[in-house]
Amino acid sequence: MNTRFVLSLCAALASLTLVTAPAFAHARLDHANPRVGSTVQSAPRQVTLWFTEKVEPAFSRIEVRDDAGNRVDIGKAVVDKSNPVELHIAVKPLRAGTYKVFWRVLSVDTHKTEGRFSFRVER
Amino acid sequence: MSNLLQRTAICGFAVGVVCLGCARAHETAGNRFFPATLAVDDPGVNDELAFPTISAFKTGDDPSAKQLDVSAEFAKRITDDFAVSFEPTWTRISRPGGPNMNGASGFQNLETALKYRLYKNAEHEFVASVGFNIEWGGSGADSVGAESVTSYTPTIFFGKGLGDLPDSMRWARPFAVTGQIGYAFPNSRTTSTIDPDDGSIEIETNPDILVWGGSLQYSMPYLKSSVTDLGLPDFFNHLVPIVEFAMETPVGHTIDSGTVTTGTINPGVLWIGDKYQVGIEAVIPVNRASGKNVGVIGQLHLYLDDIFPNSIGRPLLASSTLARGSR
Repeated sequence: MNTRFVLSLCAALASLTLVTAPAFAHARLDHANPRVGSTVQSAPRQVTLWFTEKVEPAFSRIEVRDDAGNRVDIGKAVVDKSNPVELHIAVKPLRAGTYKVFWRVLSVDTHKTEGRFSFRVER
Repeated sequence: MSNLLQRTAICGFAVGVVCLGCARAHETAGNRFFPATLAVDDPGVNDELAFPTISAFKTGDDPSAKQLDVSAEFAKRITDDFAVSFEPTWTRISRPGGPNMNGASGFQNLETALKYRLYKNAEHEFVASVGFNIEWGGSGADSVGAESVTSYTPTIFFGKGLGDLPDSMRWARPFAVTGQIGYAFPNSRTTSTIDPDDGSIEIETNPDILVWGGSLQYSMPYLKSSVTDLGLPDFFNHLVPIVEFAMETPVGHTIDSGTVTTGTINPGVLWIGDKYQVGIEAVIPVNRASGKNVGVIGQLHLYLDDIFPNSIGRPLLASSTLARGSR
C-alpha cells in the first residue's frame, strides 16, 4: 500500500461521507435582532433569533431579563411559520439599560442547545 | 547506529509521536462548543469520525527521517455519557529511517479508548471526563516502531470555557482551555530484542509515562453568538484559532528511556461547520528528541451525531430523546 493510494482513499471516503450526509445538525444561534452585544437607540418591540437549523416550537423558549433580573418578555416564544429557523418573543416597553437574552431550543433532529447574550438600550 | 539501536530509537520515538495523529472528540456545555482538537484529547463524548488525520514531520532520531502518518478514529457512544473509540494509524518513514535505513511503512498498533463523561456544568461551561486508552501491542508493524507490548493509559480530561467572566472582561469570554493528564504503563516491564547484526539479546525496560497536554482556543463562533456580533464575513465567524501542546514524560522505570520530556506545541486554526470541522496546525517539537524542524498536521472531522442523528449518530442505549439532545 503506497502513500498515494492511502491519501486517495482518505479523500474519496471523506468526500463520499460529506456528499451523502443529510442536512441535520445542532441548532446554533446564527444572528439576532437586536444584534448580539449591540447598543440600540430605540427600544425593540420584540427579540428575534435566527438559528442554523429548524427548531421545534413546543420545546423552544426565550427569556429576556433586565439589569435586576426581572423578566420583560411577554407570552411565549413563537416560531415563524414561513421560516422555521426564526424564533421571536414580544417584550414590554424597554427603558434604557442592559438586557440579557436566554434561549433554549430543540432542533427538529432532537438536539437541544442553549445560550445567552446581552444587548443595551440607550434611549 | 546499529539496526537494533535504530529500531529502539524509532520505537521510543513512535511512542512519543503516535498521538500526533489522534482524532479527538467535540463537546457542548451550555453556550460553549468545544471543537475536536488534533493533538490532544478533550473531554468530549460523542459519535464521530475523524478521517483522515494526516501529519508530516521529521523524527527525533539521529539522523532524522521524514514520517507521514495517516489515521482515522471512529467513536461510538454506548450511552449518553459513555463511548468507545478505535483508531488505526498508517505510517510511512522515509530514508534514512526504518530498520535498515531504507524507509518503512505499515500500521501502528491499534488504539482503543473508553471514555465516560463525569460531570458537565452548562452555566460555567465546564466538563470533565475519565478515559482508559489501550494500545494493543503487536498489532502493528515492528518496522514503523509499533511496540510489542500493550500499554494502558487511564486519563482525566477537562474543558473550561471563560464565558462566566464579568462584563468588563467580555472580550475574553470566547477563550476556552482544555487539558488532559494520563499515566501510561505497559503490560510487560521489559522487551527482549535480538540484534540481527551479532545475534545478541538486549533487554529494554519499558517505562511508565506521564501523558499530558492541553489547548488554548479562542472561539469566533462564541464571539458572534454570545458576546458581540461584529458583522464579519461568515467564513471568519467559523474560525477557532488554537494552540495545542502534547507532552510525554517518562516517570517510572526510566533506566533505558531516560526522563527527558518530549512533545510538540501546535499553533493552528480550526474551521467549525454544522456537520464537520477541518483543522490545520504546525507541529513544533519542543526539543531535538521530539523531532526536527516544523511539521504539519491536518484533519477532517465529521460530527456523526449531527450527520446521522437517527441512526449511527445516536447512542446505542439512549436514555431518551430529550436526554440525548441535552448532551
